[in-house]
Amino acid sequence: MSALIEARDAVLSFGATPALRGASFEAGPGEIVAIMGPSGSGKSTLLHCLAGILAPEKGEIRFDGRRIDTLDEQGRSTLRRQQFGFVFQFGQLVPELTVEENVALPLLLGGIRRAGALRQACTWLERLGLEGTRGRRSGELSGGQAQRVALARGMINRPRVLFTDEPTGSLDSLTGEQVMDLMVAAAREQGTTIVLVTHEPRVAMYADREVVVRDGTVHALAGERSGS
Amino acid sequence: MIPFGLRLAVAAGRDALVRFVVLVFAVTLGVGLLLCTVGGVRALNAQFDRIGWMNPSPAIVGSADPVVWVHRYDTFDGRGIERIDVGATGPRTPTAPGLPRLPVPGEYFVSPALRDLIAANPADQLAVRFPGHQAGLIGDAALASPDSLVVVVGRTAGEVGGIYGERKVTSLSTAGRGKPEAALDLVLSVVAGGLLFPVLIFIGTATRLNATRREQRFAAMRLVGATPRQVSALAAVESTAAAVIGTLLGFALFLPLRSAMAQSPMITAQRPFPEDISPGWLGGVLVAVCVPLAAAIAARLAMRRVRISPLGVARQVTPKPPSAWRLLPVILGLLELAYFVGRRPQTSNGQTAAFLPGFLLIMAGLVFAGPWITMVGARFMARRARRLPTLVAARRLADNPRAAFRAISGVVLGLFVVSVATGVIGTIVQERSVRYNSLAAVTMMEQFDFRTGGGKVPDELKDRLRAIPGVTFVQPLRFNPEPVPDELGSVIACADLARIPQYGTCAPGAEVASVYANLIGYSHDRTSAGSATVWPATALRAADLDAFPIGMLIIGLDGSTAAHERARTTVELAYPDGVMPGTDVDFSSDSRTQLNMFQQLANVIMLFSLPIAGCSLAVAVAAGLAERKRPFSLLRLTGVPLRALRQVVALESAVPLLAVAVLATGVGFAAAQLFLRAQMDYTLTPPGWTFYAMAALGLLLSLGIIGSTLPLLERITGPEAARND
Repeated sequence: MSALIEARDAVLSFGATPALRGASFEAGPGEIVAIMGPSGSGKSTLLHCLAGILAPEKGEIRFDGRRIDTLDEQGRSTLRRQQFGFVFQFGQLVPELTVEENVALPLLLGGIRRAGALRQACTWLERLGLEGTRGRRSGELSGGQAQRVALARGMINRPRVLFTDEPTGSLDSLTGEQVMDLMVAAAREQGTTIVLVTHEPRVAMYADREVVVRDGTVHALAGERSGS
Repeated sequence: MIPFGLRLAVAAGRDALVRFVVLVFAVTLGVGLLLCTVGGVRALNAQFDRIGWMNPSPAIVGSADPVVWVHRYDTFDGRGIERIDVGATGPRTPTAPGLPRLPVPGEYFVSPALRDLIAANPADQLAVRFPGHQAGLIGDAALASPDSLVVVVGRTAGEVGGIYGERKVTSLSTAGRGKPEAALDLVLSVVAGGLLFPVLIFIGTATRLNATRREQRFAAMRLVGATPRQVSALAAVESTAAAVIGTLLGFALFLPLRSAMAQSPMITAQRPFPEDISPGWLGGVLVAVCVPLAAAIAARLAMRRVRISPLGVARQVTPKPPSAWRLLPVILGLLELAYFVGRRPQTSNGQTAAFLPGFLLIMAGLVFAGPWITMVGARFMARRARRLPTLVAARRLADNPRAAFRAISGVVLGLFVVSVATGVIGTIVQERSVRYNSLAAVTMMEQFDFRTGGGKVPDELKDRLRAIPGVTFVQPLRFNPEPVPDELGSVIACADLARIPQYGTCAPGAEVASVYANLIGYSHDRTSAGSATVWPATALRAADLDAFPIGMLIIGLDGSTAAHERARTTVELAYPDGVMPGTDVDFSSDSRTQLNMFQQLANVIMLFSLPIAGCSLAVAVAAGLAERKRPFSLLRLTGVPLRALRQVVALESAVPLLAVAVLATGVGFAAAQLFLRAQMDYTLTPPGWTFYAMAALGLLLSLGIIGSTLPLLERITGPEAARND
């Protein structure tokens, strides 16, 4: 299987502190890969590089065979909006917008008309059991609801890769499982690749494959699972 | 992106709406005041232009027949009357603006206000001063104000030619007279700056409202694919929309303000015509275009200060701690003003160009130096701190003195402006104010020209004057033939002086005394006589006095308006070609009006700048609390008492406020002193207790504003605020 998203010998430092020291990683289409590792090992930095949020100082990041680390801000923003989705630990919702507007945000930024964008947002909200929250603001949601809203926003543009960083980190185990179930189901249905950063083995169990980041380098941990 | 940005600005929750409304309010206020200031300055210039025809240049060329022209100042009940006597020398006379033609002998034109005044008073007090009949009204084009009292009297060329100060003119354009007060433009420019700086600070404060939250919002958008340009556009749309609405409302606010200015003069000495209070099309367009543009640029610059990455504010551009170099602009501004002491430019424009940059540099310098002073004060406080709230506040101030100073910068500038205005205007008023002799209002004088052999005062005139109820005495004074100081220009028989002992007494044994030319002295020369004055004796004998010409006719009055104006009218009719009679108080009415205007300006500055600064302070403190509600609520959750948080917040604002207020006031007085020395050769008169009371009140109100935001602290730092959005 050819890689959809990959890092080759990525190196990145924050000041004098090295974060990635030649990290290599790849994930194929529709694959769910968990990145694990202790705090400060560089797993989130690797995810940010893969997602075009950060650019490595050395090495390459490729998406669908094309280098993306050399793209400018504009190009990487467009890539994130059109090809990627995101679910981070605290949802990263826009507090001033309603739930449905938050979900529709990538479409609105892409120039889709408001009515059409909100229609699509409603479809995702229904699918994730959030019909009653459409007009609410993020401050009025529970943690689980906020993460499901973030998931709906991450999936609304049918991304080819969904990047998730500790998506259940702020949730209790039951709610976390619900969010993960929905996420994996949605990704499987659309053939979306998930790059999942977590330090919870229970969450990593959802992945097809796990890798471990230690001191800025990536190590394979286990063999492939047959779709959990 | 524009509709989306607008939606975010006005319909994205209470915080966003509050920010939008405050920004709109600040811009509205700014635009309204800007239009008033520009309109006021233009109204002042328009007033001078309108009355330029009254003092035409003596022109020799031209096809019109020359007109013999005399412009004199008359008075009625303390109000000045501009009287112009004209005599045509041929049929082709030039015409003045606002007049259908020049009046011919036997008729006169009056301004509407003078017409009303004539109608409202007995004829022997005013109407009979003007020979002939009222032929028509002077139009607005020839008047400075609807309240202007102007009369153009038609007489023969020969009659007018006999009046002192006559000249021949062939054209009566409106561009004749220059501004009487060269410093006026400069004072108004400083006023404009003084009013606008606090407004700009207010707009800047409003722009930064909810800055942290907005940055988080933009970061979330960047995460899901918003480009940097889209984020900048969203920020610009929000600010520009508020600025556009604020600009429109500012123009709307200008209308009632303009009416208020037209009803009671604020910047001009006389009530201006409403149509003169206009920014002009160029000024209007500049305000309408520049304010929204400036807001968009400000938003753009604010976004450049932070680079918002998808992970949040990635790189806050945090400059080094402020250094003492920040005092340099203030010092340079003061040095700039000091340079012109003894080197005052001659022209009005030159003076404006010389002094205005100095004042603007100092104002900008205060804003620039404020963070350094705040930091120094904070470090001092940290060294002395014994309690936790003091230490926390001191550390926070020292860590980010710019943010702390930003909240109080409006008040600091307000104090500076008020200090300068009070210092300059108070000194001008003090220097120029007339210290009236107690007899100044009841001693009317008619002066005669020595070169034409002095005046003739027939007994019949004396009798008519004495017959007026309220006239207490009539006393001619003769020119002093002895070599005496200039001010002792008259002589009086001691027997006559004995009948009016309130004007002093003769030295024992004297028959004739040297007295002030007008008997009471001149307020502008600070000469003054009264019952205690013992006049120096002369070698003259009383019997010899008739040989000397009469230099002054003195008429004692009882203080009533009727007696005053009847006596004046009688004297005017007796000497139609002479100078206008009046009391010392009458003669200084023009400068009184100007001083009132200056005082009015000082009041306008206080009235506007301090409340605007208070608004800035309230918004800044409330915004600072809102920005920190999570850390504060977390502190509360960990057991820090609310009282301690209140002390932290209060100290954070009060310490820089008090520290920089002292500097602002001191620099304000220093700048005022340098300006006064350079421009007018005056020395700053220390302000009275009212200034210090006002300043203390202003500071107390500011502390009150800070205190009024503290209940907000309790409300917004409840346990629920600790949760994530």
